[in-house]
Amino acid sequence: MSYKPTLTRTWWLKHRFFMLYMLREGTVLPLVFLLCSLSAGAFALQSVEQFASWQRFMANPWVVAIHTVALIAALYHAFTFFKLFPRVMPIRVGTKLVPPAIMVVGQWLAVVAVITVFLWLFVFSGAAHGIVAGPGGGV
Amino acid sequence: MNANKTGSRWQGLHLEPLWWGLFSAGGVCFAVFIPAVVLIFGIMAPLGIIDISYQQVRGYYASIWGLMFTGAVICLPAFHAAHRIRHGLHDVKLGGGLVSIIICYGLAATLSATTLAAWYLLR
Repeated sequence: MSYKPTLTRTWWLKHRFFMLYMLREGTVLPLVFLLCSLSAGAFALQSVEQFASWQRFMANPWVVAIHTVALIAALYHAFTFFKLFPRVMPIRVGTKLVPPAIMVVGQWLAVVAVITVFLWLFVFSGAAHGIVAGPGGGV
Repeated sequence: MNANKTGSRWQGLHLEPLWWGLFSAGGVCFAVFIPAVVLIFGIMAPLGIIDISYQQVRGYYASIWGLMFTGAVICLPAFHAAHRIRHGLHDVKLGGGLVSIIICYGLAATLSATTLAAWYLLR
């Protein structure tokens, strides 16, 4: 007789570490919803009317709620991913290893930089060109 | 390469490095680009905190930047998600093998292709 380990479907609920693992895996579920919304938005750019109806969809409270979860999930994923990166790909400057903490901070700065670029693209340059529309207006 | 066991038949294709590469690149994009994108398009614009107009978004997206946006914000994160879902299904003892591979990466490829088509239609 050989020992056959049995794994239940709920094995990951039995330990905090496993639950955090599944939580990290689960961060992609709201991401999938976001990707579908964005893809729909890309198609909605065909006409002003379609874009307006996409904006109405995006303003639905449930959709905003799921996207808020997606933001939190993305930040949690980033938190786990950034910690991993210095271990997977340690960077050396000369003979010295860049401290992991510095690399983690550097990656968060990249996130902040991307947010800043997007805000600049849509807030400042949009206002500068005078193309401003209310939410759901679309024109 | 002749794989003798059913379970290892598809591993004989040696596609795992491809999936892992897409997963890894998508993970970087998910962490670095998605927070900004969901904040702008999913939260701030719908709540009226910032205003985005059709002309502006179309103008940006119809350019070569739109193609890069699609790659970094849709395609790579889609394959990242597909990889995690494929292994997540295994973790909860659902699907498995080639079925999971075809469904997960197939859907990611479909979403990528349709969004690239949307970009192309604006050109």
